[in-house]
Amino acid sequence: MMKPKVFNRGKAFLLAAVVFTGLSFKEARTKTTQDPATLRIVFSNKVGARDLVLRDSTYENPFGESYTVTRFRYYVTDIFLGTTGRQERIRHTYFLIDQGIPASWVAEVKIPAGSYHSLGFLLGVDSLLNVSGAQTGVLDPMRDMFWTWNSGYVMAKMEGNSPASTQVNQKFEYHIGGYSGPHKVLQTIRLPFDKVQEFHGGETCTIYVDADLNAWWKSVHEFRISEHPVITTPGLLAREMSENYAHMFHIDKIVPDSH
Amino acid sequence: MKKLWVILLLVAGAIGTFSWDEAGGHPHKTPHFHPTPLKLTIPRGWPQPPTNIFAHNPLTEEGFQLGRKLFYDGRLSRDGNFPCASCHEQFAAFATYDHDLSHGFNNQFTTRNAPPLFNLAWARSYNWDGGVNHLELQPLVPITAPNEMAETLDSVLARLRKDPVYPRMFKAAFGTPIINSQRMLKALAQFVGSLVSYNSKYDKVMRGEATFNSAEARGYALYKARCSTCHPEPLFTDYSYRNDGLSLNPYLKDVGRMRITGDPADSLKFKVPSLRNLSVTFPYTHDGRLYSLYNVIDHYSKGIHVGPTLDSSLRKAVPFTEQEKDDIVYFLHALNDTTFEKDKRYAQP
Ligand code: HEC
Ligand code: HEC
Repeated sequence: MMKPKVFNRGKAFLLAAVVFTGLSFKEARTKTTQDPATLRIVFSNKVGARDLVLRDSTYENPFGESYTVTRFRYYVTDIFLGTTGRQERIRHTYFLIDQGIPASWVAEVKIPAGSYHSLGFLLGVDSLLNVSGAQTGVLDPMRDMFWTWNSGYVMAKMEGNSPASTQVNQKFEYHIGGYSGPHKVLQTIRLPFDKVQEFHGGETCTIYVDADLNAWWKSVHEFRISEHPVITTPGLLAREMSENYAHMFHIDKIVPDSH
Repeated sequence: MKKLWVILLLVAGAIGTFSWDEAGGHPHKTPHFHPTPLKLTIPRGWPQPPTNIFAHNPLTEEGFQLGRKLFYDGRLSRDGNFPCASCHEQFAAFATYDHDLSHGFNNQFTTRNAPPLFNLAWARSYNWDGGVNHLELQPLVPITAPNEMAETLDSVLARLRKDPVYPRMFKAAFGTPIINSQRMLKALAQFVGSLVSYNSKYDKVMRGEATFNSAEARGYALYKARCSTCHPEPLFTDYSYRNDGLSLNPYLKDVGRMRITGDPADSLKFKVPSLRNLSVTFPYTHDGRLYSLYNVIDHYSKGIHVGPTLDSSLRKAVPFTEQEKDDIVYFLHALNDTTFEKDKRYAQP
């Protein structure tokens, strides 16, 4: 999980206090429904059934164009869980899933114990945070997911090489962003569970989510690398590609009470 | 007791994950941290800024002083030669004096004229095309541009961390000595956003401390008739994007606002600049093509290039007489604020 790098003394003290209090409570009480559950989401980026390996492996997209991937990153934020008649929103959840950093593939959050029927999140960084100045943690501009001359986050990024590309070194590059206007690329992802799932207080439930890169090229729209090797500015193409990649996720399995 | 547990959990949740004002220098979050609060100067009779650019970045003396040091520090650039102040010189109201384009790393030019820096807290966006949506994000553009400061944030921050003075100053400004990009950007915004220019002769006249001479008074009337739709008082800009009749620069091919919106209706529209401090900010416009104020007046008099996006207010410009040109220039000179250009608080520390 991407934890904030920044920790001041005040917060360290508070955390110590919380941990301490938590420990003493743990001794004094048995688990109750008041305890939060831990939701762990493990993202596996794939092409079809194959795991994504950067650089070395060659894949083929739905148009038979072969490609390798050098960078693959996306923001998962504002996680929520569906329960009868409403959504349980987990505030302040910001994750940058970066294929190059295995530790980032796991997003872990505390949620209220209960029964839920779906998992959801925003693919991208909400509009407000795009206009609120300098951020830190996974939203730090140093994460290379921020446009400087046209302020705003790149919500998802895929870069690589393909013989189908007409660009220098057969590169292809998709930096998908745009937080406002008709070509906003923010996508809300909702992944229903097969059955209602209990999340017990004090326990960890792991949801394995697969993301298939080939959805970027073909789901509701069609993009051939030969025609669109580069999409790096907000606009119609970026929005359509985001409508495609919104379909890349599905739940592989749910493992309750895992540790 | 149960309540306390819930509160503590919420706190744990809040610090366990990222929060958007993390380390944003919220003074009340750190015990024993009491920086000196500062207030943005809002001159009498001026509107409130449209948004509070310091809403998540409380303005303090310590933050301002840190920003000031950073602004003048060459170590923010790759070869040490291009601090912010190399292109934004105080004696030129923080524009580049007498340069159409500025110099950056490795004998390269910038692609636009460096604008002066003042009254930025009233702006809604930054740069000639408004591409930057928050003052804190502005420094990212020059620091990382290969023809400006040509640096990466990583190496700038590494240099600041090694410095004997900066960790102390970051602690004074934000409560702990941690140096990260957010704090650096917030400190720079505190300095640059505090630059307010409001002591020209015009301001004194408005405050009842001086009177216009007859040429200035005639110029003021002409300004109201011909210039104030786009350059309204007291900021002398409405911060909108307009095409004021300059043709496309054949070398730079700069389409202005359209570069950001992709909308052909925005082609050749640039952010309306302020008319304050013009005596030191020449050459004028986004590419510095108009050298003197008389060149500017001649442009509005009979140089308007009529294109599809030209502002409707300039479609039938009536040429100025020589007398009128002189009068407008007299009035524009009454907008110069020499106290701003000499203010020691804004000078190199
Ligand atoms: C190499 C010259 C150069 C350097 C160094 C430089 N700038 Fe600039 N600055 C410019 C130019 C040119 C523009 C206009 C850019 C544009 O419109 O695209 C500008 C624009 C700005 C603006 C926007 C002003 C407005 O009215 O919209 C601000 C604020 C600013 N610079 C602050 C800074 C800060 C802070 C630094 C140091 C971190 C800095 N600049 C370093 C040349 C420079
Ligand atoms: C239709 C709106 C409009 C009107 C009317 C207008 N201007 Fe402008 N003015 C602009 C815009 C837009 C720019 C920036 C153009 C560019 O850089 O491409 C500008 C630039 C300038 C500049 C250059 C300032 C700098 O810092 O580079 C001066 C000086 C100026 N105008 C003076 C005047 C005067 C004097 C009048 C009245 C005679 C006037 N303007 C009328 C929109 C307008």
